[in-house]
Amino acid sequence: MPLLSMHQISKAFNGVTVLDQVELEVERGEVHALLGENGAGKSTLMNILTGTIPLDSGSIEFDGRPLVRPTIRKTEELGIAFVHQELNLFNDLKVFENIFICKELSGFLGHLKKKEMISRCEELFSRLGVEIDPTALVADLKPSDKQLLEISKALFFKARLLILDEPTTALNTEEVEHLFSIVGGLKAQGISFIFISHKMPEIFAYSDRYTVFRNGRFIASGKIADTSPEEVTSLMVGHNAALTSMYQPRELGEVVLKADHVSGPGFHDVSFELRRGEIVGMTGLQGCGSSEFLQSLFGAAERTEGTVSVHGTNLAPSSIHAAMQAGVGFLPANRKENSVIPDQNILENMYISEHTLSALHFHIHNKEELARYHKFHELLNIKAASEKLPVTSLSGGNQQKIFIARWLNTKAQVLLFDNPTQGIDVGAKDEIYRLILKLASEGQSIVVNTLEIPELMKVADRCLVFCDGTIASHLSHDEIEEHKIMLYSTGALKQKGSEDWVNVNLKSANVNHSRSAADNSIDQEKEAFHG
Amino acid sequence: MAEKKSSIIASLWRDYSYVVVFLIIFAIFAATSSGLTVNATMNILRHSAVIGIIAIGMGMVCLTAEIDLSVGSMLAMVSGMSVVVFNASDSIVLTLIFALAFGALCGAVNGVLVGIAKMPSFIVTLATMLIYRSFAQYICQHIDKDLAGGGSSVYRMIPKHDAFASLFAFGNTKFLTLPIVGIVLVLTTLLFVYILEQTKYGKKIYATGSSSKGAFMAGINVSVIKTSVFVLTGVLVGLASFLWIAMNASSDPATTGKGYEMYAIAAVVLGGISMAGGKGRCLGILFGALSYTVIDKIIIALKMDSLINDAVKGIILIAVILIQITGPQIKQKCSKLFNKR
Repeated sequence: MPLLSMHQISKAFNGVTVLDQVELEVERGEVHALLGENGAGKSTLMNILTGTIPLDSGSIEFDGRPLVRPTIRKTEELGIAFVHQELNLFNDLKVFENIFICKELSGFLGHLKKKEMISRCEELFSRLGVEIDPTALVADLKPSDKQLLEISKALFFKARLLILDEPTTALNTEEVEHLFSIVGGLKAQGISFIFISHKMPEIFAYSDRYTVFRNGRFIASGKIADTSPEEVTSLMVGHNAALTSMYQPRELGEVVLKADHVSGPGFHDVSFELRRGEIVGMTGLQGCGSSEFLQSLFGAAERTEGTVSVHGTNLAPSSIHAAMQAGVGFLPANRKENSVIPDQNILENMYISEHTLSALHFHIHNKEELARYHKFHELLNIKAASEKLPVTSLSGGNQQKIFIARWLNTKAQVLLFDNPTQGIDVGAKDEIYRLILKLASEGQSIVVNTLEIPELMKVADRCLVFCDGTIASHLSHDEIEEHKIMLYSTGALKQKGSEDWVNVNLKSANVNHSRSAADNSIDQEKEAFHG
Repeated sequence: MAEKKSSIIASLWRDYSYVVVFLIIFAIFAATSSGLTVNATMNILRHSAVIGIIAIGMGMVCLTAEIDLSVGSMLAMVSGMSVVVFNASDSIVLTLIFALAFGALCGAVNGVLVGIAKMPSFIVTLATMLIYRSFAQYICQHIDKDLAGGGSSVYRMIPKHDAFASLFAFGNTKFLTLPIVGIVLVLTTLLFVYILEQTKYGKKIYATGSSSKGAFMAGINVSVIKTSVFVLTGVLVGLASFLWIAMNASSDPATTGKGYEMYAIAAVVLGGISMAGGKGRCLGILFGALSYTVIDKIIIALKMDSLINDAVKGIILIAVILIQITGPQIKQKCSKLFNKR
C-alpha cells in the first residue's frame, strides 16, 4: 500500500481547468520525481496536498486513511511538509529559534527554555548527520545549510512526506551531493520525498520513481531505472498542436547590435549579433542568465567584461543613458514592478523615456504629445478610452503596448523584450507577438527572452539557448523545438552537433544554474583540463 | 442623475480638498474676527510667505518619497549668514545671491548623501538639522560682533547701512494692498506649479516618487533627480531666509525656523501630497500653508492662549487625513449595505 495516493484530482480557477483528473502515488521510503513544464500543474497539486488550495473533485489517501478536505493544520499533523523554493526561514533569528518558532518550549512563568531547545536541536542534527550550529544566525548560513535546516525543521515535527520544490537551485555540486546523502539516509528510515526539479542529471541520479504531468493532465508514471532523460523530456513536452503560422521569414539588413564576449553577474562569455529587421529569441531555465544578459545590454545590469556596440559605436557599460541614446529600448520582466509608473496617466507613462532623452528642452508641448499619442494609439491598436486615464486601469496587454510605444517614441531601433507576455491572457499574447513581427518587418531589430518556447516558434528567426549563464546552443528557426531546447537548457545535451548523452554524473554535468560567473569559469577550466 | 452629481462632488473633494479645508477655516476666521478687513486678509499672505516657500521645497522632496527635516535649521543658518553678508557688504543683490547659493549648498549636502550615497533621508536630514542649527548658534557667538550686528546671541542687520531701509521696506510694504513678500510667495508657487506640471523635469520627479524601479528602467537617473530636488529645496530655503531677514531685520539662531520642518510637512500633507511619493499637486501646498496661518489668526482673534496653537493644528491635520482615508471606506460599506437591500 502506498504512503500517498491522490486519485482523479481536478481543479479549476475561474473556469480554467488547471488539473484534469490527475493521479499521483508515492511509496514509503522513496524519492518520487514530479516532472512537467512550467504551468503543468505540479505546484497546484502540491498546494492541494498541503491544504493551501481546496480541491474540486477527487480523493486523497494518506497512510491508508482517506484525507478529506485537507487543511494546512491537518496535513501538518499527518506529517506532510512543504519545503518551499523560497525558504520560509527567519533570517534574523537563530537556528534553534527557527526550528521552535511558534512552538517554543517554555517554563510555567513563560520564560524560554533555551538550553533544552538547543540540546534538542543538537540531538536532531546529530541524528540526521547535519553539521549546523544551533546558535548560529540563519542569515550567516550557507544556502545548502538553510535548505537542510528547512528539512530538519520538518523532520523535527515528525514529517513522513517531504515536498522538495526545486531544492537545488541555490546549491553547488558538493552541496547537492550532501543534501541527497542525507535524503538517502532518511529514505532508509521510511521517509518519502516528492522531488520537483527541472534538472535531468539530478533527477536521474537521486530519484526512484517519476510522474509526468503536461498541461494539467497525468501523462505517465514509472521507475526511473526503466527510462531515459530523452524519453522523460518528450513525455513532458508532448507533440504540440500545429502552431499558428504567424511566422514569415523577412529579409535581414546590416548588423545593428553586436555583443562580444560579454560577461557580468549571472552570465559569462556571451557573444551574438543582431541584424536590422531580425528577431532573435533567447530562452533557458529560470536563472540561466539570459535575463541578466539582456539587462546588461540595456545598461540596467552590470557588465564586467566584453564590448557591446550599436551601429559600430561602443556602449559604455552600466549606462542606461548611453544605451538609450544609441537607440536601444528595453521592456523588462515583471511589468508591474519595473515598467508601470502607477501614479501617472497613460500619456505620461508613454512619454517618460522620451522626456529623459530630450531633458534639455524643458517645456512640454501638450499638442505635439497628443498628436503622437494618437499615432501610436492607432499603430499599436491600444484599447484605451482616453490618454488621461491611469495606466493601471488598462489590461496587461494594453499596458505592454504603452511600454512598446514608450520606446518607439524614443526612436529606438533595437527593442529588447524580457518575458513580454508575462501576466497577459492568451488572446492578447498573440496580439503582442503579431505586433513584434510587424515591428520587425518595419525594420526594428528585436530580442525576445522568454521561457515559453511555443512563443519563440511563432516569432524568432533564430534562438539562443542559455544554460549556466552562457549560450549552450544556437538554433535556426526551423530547429526551434521544445524537446531540443529542453535538452540543451537542462544540460542534458551539450553543444550543438554532439548529440551524445552526457553521462549522468553530477560531477561533470553543469547542474547549477544560479552560480556566480566565477564558479562557472572554474568549471570550464576543469572541463578543459579533463578534455 | 443624483449619482452623477455626488460623484462630481466626490471628485472635487478628492482633487481639491485643500481648497475646501482652506475655505472652511477661512470662514471660521471671518466669523470669529470682529469685522474682517482687507488688511487682515492680506496679512495672511504675508505671514504665510516664509513657511509657504519652504513647504514648496518640502512638497517636492515628498513627491520623490523622501523627507527633509533640516529645513528649519537651514533657515536659521542661512538667514544668520545672510545677515552677516549684508552687514559686511551693504548690498541687497549680494545678500540675495548669497542666500540662494548658500541654501543650495546646504541642500546639496542633503542631496548628495541621499541621492548619490543612498542613505535614508530621514537620518541624513535629522543629522543636518542638528548640524545647521548648531552652526548657526555657534557662529553667532564667535563671530566678530560688528558682523553679527552688535547683538550677543542674535544676528542683526546694521540699520545704519544705506541699503537697510530699502531691504526692510521690501519685507514690510505693500503694493496695491498686496504685501510684497506675499507676491513673492504667489509667484514662486506659480513657477513651481509650472515646473511640476508642464516640464519634463517635473514629470520625472513624480515618476521617481511613484516607482523608483520603474523610473530607473525607463531611463531616468533617479539619483540625480533626488539630489536635484534637495538642492532646489535648499534654494527655496535660501529665498525664504532672504524674506525672513527683510521682514524682521534680524535672525535669532535659537528660535528662527524652530519646528518649521513639521509645519512644512503638515502643510504639504494638508495640501494633498502623499508622503509615499508620486501623488499630489503643488497648488495644494500654498493652500495648506495658508490654512495654518489662518489657524494662528483665529486663535489670536478668539483671545485664546497661543500655546494651544499646535494642538489645534494637530487636530485639524488628523481630522482632514482621517476623512480622506476613511471616507472612501465608509462610502464603500454604505453602498454595500444599500445594495443588499
